[in-house]
Amino acid sequence: MATETYETPAAETLDEVARDLPWNVVVHNDPVNLMNYVTHVFRRIFGFSRTKAEKHMMEVHRNGRSIVWSGTREKAEFYVQQLHSHLLLATLERSR
Amino acid sequence: MEFYETEDGKLGMREIPPVVAELLRQIPRWTEWESDEAENRIFPSPAPGSAETELRADWQAFVEPELHDYFLSTRQMVEADLRGMAEDGESFAMEFSRKHAEAWLNALNQVRLALAAHHGFDEQDMDRHGARDSLDERDLALVQIHFYGLIQHWLLEILEGSE
Repeated sequence: MATETYETPAAETLDEVARDLPWNVVVHNDPVNLMNYVTHVFRRIFGFSRTKAEKHMMEVHRNGRSIVWSGTREKAEFYVQQLHSHLLLATLERSR
Repeated sequence: MEFYETEDGKLGMREIPPVVAELLRQIPRWTEWESDEAENRIFPSPAPGSAETELRADWQAFVEPELHDYFLSTRQMVEADLRGMAEDGESFAMEFSRKHAEAWLNALNQVRLALAAHHGFDEQDMDRHGARDSLDERDLALVQIHFYGLIQHWLLEILEGSE
């Protein structure tokens, strides 16, 4: 099933984007994390609205994965680390 | 068992049956029985499959130790709060600062994920309900996971309700 990419929470500068285009932060489904916990973590880390956080959470739940952020590699690594610190299954992938 | 919030910013549980008190005391102790499966789930790879070998090596060298320390700190906070659990008649009661809610969420998630990974629970296992004729170790682990999930629900309602 197709996945959607939502706008980034903060815009990257043109220089940053030009140097390192682009990396996706992907959150994967797991059977244990509570749905409202995943929503809570998305809001806490990315500052998403409740609606946007729930949309990504449902995408993870239904499609098995959701691209929650795209941008420079360095920042993508930072977000994956943040997601791991909340025990979500997250990876970074180069955008195709 | 009752969950409550006080006006001075404390979260509490009272009328905790002894067996449930023991389940609570086990939250910070999951590393005592940790398995490779649990370890792999708590510290997942940052890149899928065999991609990004260098990143995976750097992650193990620099990020995982930080995560390890962070997870330890949340368990220690919960452990300290649990030391305040006291007998109240035939049951137990405890209170802890609302500021510790995120640490509790994290520590509860560590043990839920570790238990699920250790026992190899999948989506079907997690959705399993209904009475059974007997309970084995896996069934008890599932009960434990769902009980800790109930506490997470309570904490999330409080945290999300205040935003």
